[in-house]
Amino acid sequence: MNNESFPYLTFALGEEKFAIPVEHVQEVVEFGQVTKVPNAPNYMLGIINLRGRVLPLLDTKQKLGLPATILTQKSRIMVLDIQGENDKNIQIGALVDVAREVVDIAEKEIHDAPEFENLKTATPITGIVNNQGNITMIMDIKKVFSVKEVLEINQSLN
Amino acid sequence: MDSNQKRFVEDALDLLNELDEGLLQLEANPQATAPLEQVFRTMHTIKGGANMFGFENIGNLAHHLETLYDFVRQGKMQVTDGLISITLHAFDKVRDLLQEKDATKIANAAELNDHLKIAIEFLKNAESTNIAGANQTKIGKDELATFFLRITPTINITQDGNHPLVFILKDLEALGTAQTFCYSNAGNEVANWDMFLSTTFPQTEVESYFIFVDKECRLEITHLASGDLFGCKEFVKYIDNHRSTPVDPTALFELAQKSAAKVKTDSVQEPDDETSSKNKKKNHNDTYIKVSKRKIDDLLNWISELIILQAQLVNTSSGVNSQELTEVTEHLEMITNHLRDTSLEIGLVPMETLVTKFKRLVRDLSKSLNKKVNFLSEGADTEMDKDLIELMTEPMIHIIRNCIDHGIETPDERKAKGKAEHGTVKLKAFNTNSYVNIVISDDGKGIDKEKVLAKAIEKGIVSATDSLTTDEILNLIFHAGLSTASKISDVSGRGVGMDVVKQKINDLRGYVTVKSEMGKGTSVHIKLPLSRSIIEGLLVKVDETRYIVPLNVVDRIDRINYENLCLDNLVNKSVLVNEELLSVFSLRHRFHAKTNAPKTTDVISVTVNGVRKGISVDRIEGKMQTVMKPLGDVYQQQDFIAGSTILGDGSLALVLDPSRLFQMSNN
Repeated sequence: MNNESFPYLTFALGEEKFAIPVEHVQEVVEFGQVTKVPNAPNYMLGIINLRGRVLPLLDTKQKLGLPATILTQKSRIMVLDIQGENDKNIQIGALVDVAREVVDIAEKEIHDAPEFENLKTATPITGIVNNQGNITMIMDIKKVFSVKEVLEINQSLN
Repeated sequence: MDSNQKRFVEDALDLLNELDEGLLQLEANPQATAPLEQVFRTMHTIKGGANMFGFENIGNLAHHLETLYDFVRQGKMQVTDGLISITLHAFDKVRDLLQEKDATKIANAAELNDHLKIAIEFLKNAESTNIAGANQTKIGKDELATFFLRITPTINITQDGNHPLVFILKDLEALGTAQTFCYSNAGNEVANWDMFLSTTFPQTEVESYFIFVDKECRLEITHLASGDLFGCKEFVKYIDNHRSTPVDPTALFELAQKSAAKVKTDSVQEPDDETSSKNKKKNHNDTYIKVSKRKIDDLLNWISELIILQAQLVNTSSGVNSQELTEVTEHLEMITNHLRDTSLEIGLVPMETLVTKFKRLVRDLSKSLNKKVNFLSEGADTEMDKDLIELMTEPMIHIIRNCIDHGIETPDERKAKGKAEHGTVKLKAFNTNSYVNIVISDDGKGIDKEKVLAKAIEKGIVSATDSLTTDEILNLIFHAGLSTASKISDVSGRGVGMDVVKQKINDLRGYVTVKSEMGKGTSVHIKLPLSRSIIEGLLVKVDETRYIVPLNVVDRIDRINYENLCLDNLVNKSVLVNEELLSVFSLRHRFHAKTNAPKTTDVISVTVNGVRKGISVDRIEGKMQTVMKPLGDVYQQQDFIAGSTILGDGSLALVLDPSRLFQMSNN
């Protein structure tokens, strides 16, 4: 068995807990001003100014087919670094309800993901961690925020 | 490939461009020494570099070709079309190889051997004919002479007449550098022509041109001096002063002798006129260093950040009542602006390389199409963004191809129409404000408006009932799937191309329009922004969102009542603005319909693709210059937003792309 462990950032969407590898997270910032871009799907909330950089902001919950995020004091934007087309890395902001902490998860603790039915899209999860009934799902961010898929959804909308 | 080889490849590619330029000059002017020397020198440099860095095959090829040109230098051989062609083709191959950037591939390329064989063969032939006719073929620069010709017609003839004499004069002018003055008598008929001609052809040859017209005119020909008198300022000035009154041949002769003596001493000081003027220009511009593009991009990025920060500082400090802070801020603003301007210039390079490429293209194309075409360029020193040059090369090549293939007629057709046998394709580049303008024009047959319209109706692009202006019809050629060439050639006419050209130019936030007159020619005008990231625009507000409308398309602004915009019940979806019916795109109506509308709306009249349209917004906040940032890949489909920009208060504004905005509203 592999005993190696890697750091993950945990966050929550509604009642459910998720984690993503920390290497994909540049930083976590509070929700500020967002500028809506017209004619875009609802989950694309607009663009934000991150200290002089312009990033697109996506609503993680809507992207997964859940109801739109309701902004609270705890709402956070995870600035993610993901691989886009042509191996070019792109940065996006993902809105989540709560961003929690960075934890180390050993690979052996991660189990294969069962089929989920409450998440409408094809299960974007690489595995789950069951800590005595406290379940954390490892989100497959490459799938959730893949540029290709975003563009495809866009196309079907237009 | 090691770093030295890489550098050699980079340098060699530059040298190959220079070589092309030199070869083309030499072809146009086979007796000139300056381009010959340049060609020889450049080849020599390539040879040396290639041998040093392990590309012996290139070195070998360059060596043999160099030998050929050495013969020319020694006067043992003449520059011929064949010589130029084999050289161009050989070095084309070398260029292709170098562009592969793979050392082993370059070193082992067998293709070069073919060219080497051709060169050796050519060398052999040259050597054999050389021994036979060494004396005959030897023509040095010394035989260059300046003649004065006075042609007095004995028949009644007008300047624009169709008499062969007129064409003979044209042909003579083509023999070298020439200036002709035509003096007419009272009845608008030609009294006589005075021609000053510096040429390498002997006097007998010049006289022979008049064999068939010796009954229709009287010819006086004077050998003024050996050498090219057009290189002497006094001589040029003297003949210039005689535009209206004919010169006195004796006085002229004396001056010419004096000038000739001067030309000789001048030419000692300045060995070759053409290259020295070029060198002067370069020396004047200081020294050059090669910098990687990435470093410049980094620098520009940081300066963009600085500009944004600067705007924020102005905004913040305006809230603080401090004289000192205001002074510092203003000073910083000035420096930032200078920094921005300077840094933008760093990335700009002159269009010269592009022009060389086009010269080459025109030469090859006109040969393969059996047309005679001169390529003229003006403003080749106009500077453009290097990326922009690369992105524009293909579209411009396409336009030039069209000019030669569709525009310029065959020499016979041209003669029949009373035009010069040689067609002209002209490239003119110049700067206006923050734009680079490129005009490519030809003096060919022009675009047949009716044909374009008929074709467009046939393809259903426009309907027969539409009343279109001439400009609108001409600009239909940029529509996908429209080609009026009845026959498809290798070169162009498949109806793909002009639409791609337009698309590419649009992508660069530029504009392209076409003007054409039947029988006279066509010109394509391309207008490109100097910088791809800095734009000037109107800051406007709709609901809570701010947009920027690029200033370059804005014609005027009018404030009207919002109710006038409610067009849903109207058949004609136009609004009367400033007594003009305008089809208006309401940003509020389309993008922000949910919130309550204000009482008035500002309509910005813009000209997009030659058509006047309106964009209506809630309120115009002001004019600003700003750095545009891309929205990111996920917003690819929202292409009517060209990008975004950060405002002084840290919030974002969306930069509109007007032409795409209307495109979207049409669909």
